[in-house]
Amino acid sequence: MKLKLTLAVSALAGALAAAPGAWAQSDCTKLVPASPFGKDDQTGATNRVTPSVTKAAAAEIQTGKITNMTNPLVDGVPLFGTRFTKTVLTAVTLAPGASLGENNLTYMEDTWLSQSHVGTHIDGLGHIGRGDCYYNQIAMGKFINQNYMTKLGLEHLKSFATRGVIIDLVRVYQQANKLKTNPACRKSCLDKGTVITPEDLQAGLKLYNVTLREGDAVFLNTGWGDIFAQYPAQNALYNSGEPGIGEAAAKWLIDQKVIAVGADTWAVEVIPGESPTKAFSVHQMLLTDNGIHIIENVRTDLIADEAAASKRATFFLNMSVPKAVGLTGNFVGIEAIQ
Amino acid sequence: MGLVGLLPAPVLGRRSFLALAAGLLAAPVAAPGAEARRYQVGFANLTEDPGTRLEGLGFTGADVRASFALAARALPVDMVFYDNDRNRAKTLADAEDAIARKLDLYIQYCDDAGANVEIAKRMKTAGIPVLAITYPVPGSPLYGPDNTLAGRMAGEVLANFAGAHWPGARAVAVMIGDLGNAADHVPERVAGIAAALKERLPAAAQTRLDSNGNPAMAESLLRRFAAGESDSKLLVAALDDTTALLAKAAVEAAGRSVDTAIVSQGCDRSVHGGANDKKEIDPNNRGSIVIGSVAYLLDRYGYEVLPLALNMLRGDPLPPRVATRHVLVTAANVFTIYPPIDMN
Repeated sequence: MKLKLTLAVSALAGALAAAPGAWAQSDCTKLVPASPFGKDDQTGATNRVTPSVTKAAAAEIQTGKITNMTNPLVDGVPLFGTRFTKTVLTAVTLAPGASLGENNLTYMEDTWLSQSHVGTHIDGLGHIGRGDCYYNQIAMGKFINQNYMTKLGLEHLKSFATRGVIIDLVRVYQQANKLKTNPACRKSCLDKGTVITPEDLQAGLKLYNVTLREGDAVFLNTGWGDIFAQYPAQNALYNSGEPGIGEAAAKWLIDQKVIAVGADTWAVEVIPGESPTKAFSVHQMLLTDNGIHIIENVRTDLIADEAAASKRATFFLNMSVPKAVGLTGNFVGIEAIQ
Repeated sequence: MGLVGLLPAPVLGRRSFLALAAGLLAAPVAAPGAEARRYQVGFANLTEDPGTRLEGLGFTGADVRASFALAARALPVDMVFYDNDRNRAKTLADAEDAIARKLDLYIQYCDDAGANVEIAKRMKTAGIPVLAITYPVPGSPLYGPDNTLAGRMAGEVLANFAGAHWPGARAVAVMIGDLGNAADHVPERVAGIAAALKERLPAAAQTRLDSNGNPAMAESLLRRFAAGESDSKLLVAALDDTTALLAKAAVEAAGRSVDTAIVSQGCDRSVHGGANDKKEIDPNNRGSIVIGSVAYLLDRYGYEVLPLALNMLRGDPLPPRVATRHVLVTAANVFTIYPPIDMN
């Protein structure tokens, strides 16, 4: 025990010596860019959803057809490690004689125990940082407590009532004759490790003659979501990697001033990443540096099919985020209205 | 576009034009401003038998192959994969296929010296440059581990640890593993460990416990040894990660954990993993008596070797020997060197 303690102290001392300043507050002005929306901004890219953007997006509603883009949130969906989502139903009044009043009222409610980054969910701006520096140069070490963040929580987000755009990478890769699929996919899918490039994105937009505009929310159909849909049988495969955007594609999307990037994968970015020594670098580019949200585990195949049938890859995005104070992310329900 | 596109055929004459065009197409270096050329690069793996561990460490051929496939994604390289299968006939057939395909470069990972001599001849005749991994191919640059240096790193860490935490205490250094495995250069690692310990901790006696390629034997060897050295601190240099874990079990069984520090060679997935894996080398396990493991990075070979291959193809000089950048992986840096992916 004494040696273990010695080793632990030694390791801690070594870590401190090896990374001077690691425990000190960083100069975030040198690590993270300032927000283009002002020094006090905690909202990020949804600042771009102005009334005119929403009004223009409303023009996408032509037939009124609604396509769901949300995966079921239920026991057994792919999660990492000890993460969980669990519901407990309270139904006591259904017991014989337990109903209420002459009108025989019964009721039920749930206790929902879950981590927030499970299922179809949005990454908030407090999700990812560079050291202790987060979006808009905020040194987050000063703004967290045991329960939540006191800056960059989801309550600061504005509306997602904007235009959604589906980019069907499966079709792009099929047409370019470079589809390397995984046999576990029941339908065509890009295989894990496939780096989606800016050229791929542009080819996908060209399929339906779409030009991105400021304030758009972009969704990527890679086909990998079919492995999510086979939960729990294929959870290990789903989590083992994924196709996704690389840094160049992320940069291109940032330059288009989108507000969110979603995909039918668990991280949106390619895994394994382009550099073996970088961890989730696209997350840092989008969230930390640019306040652009990432939406994961989105069901994109239905809207991709709809786009192929209707030749329209744009829609009105119907998605709202709970005003969950101090949270880093949360489940979302997404609909595409055309 | 290049010169061919700038000069109309009638100006050059048909034959001259075609000759110039052919010459430019054959040139290994793209003209300035031209679209980057893609290269066809062959990688002939030592073996892809999933049950075979490479270089006396815990890596498999699949680890090495995957590193090439992943590294190639960001490079102007199209990989052609071969499995030498530790079989000379297969090895030569792979090379013949590469020659028939007119690959631009061939990366040979083969421990058959005779086959490598023959490959060197055939590739030279075919005009295909070769880059060798770990085992030399005559006339070709070589990439691979610096076994002596890696051993020295382990020895220095153990000596420094003893000096810092057990000053004045009697210490015994134990080198344990498949010590006689010359084919995988293990004796070079042992020599490096021994030399560093002798320099940094000359008072420490050195003992060698040879498991003869049977890691399970390491546990019983060390358990018995530890029982007989009850007055000494134990500095254990394990020659691979499996042996390191068994050494840890041995000193635990002998009740000697508090007197033991272990450093390993390899840093394969048996000792490190993701955020949820709870492996031995983990930021949340900083008190482990396994201080660390010297990384050989076989699962990064592709990332190291393909840029060298591109340098060769572009005509840039390459030193005859490029060594793996070994690093000691500890609980303090494991997630920097091997970032986990198991979170979203």
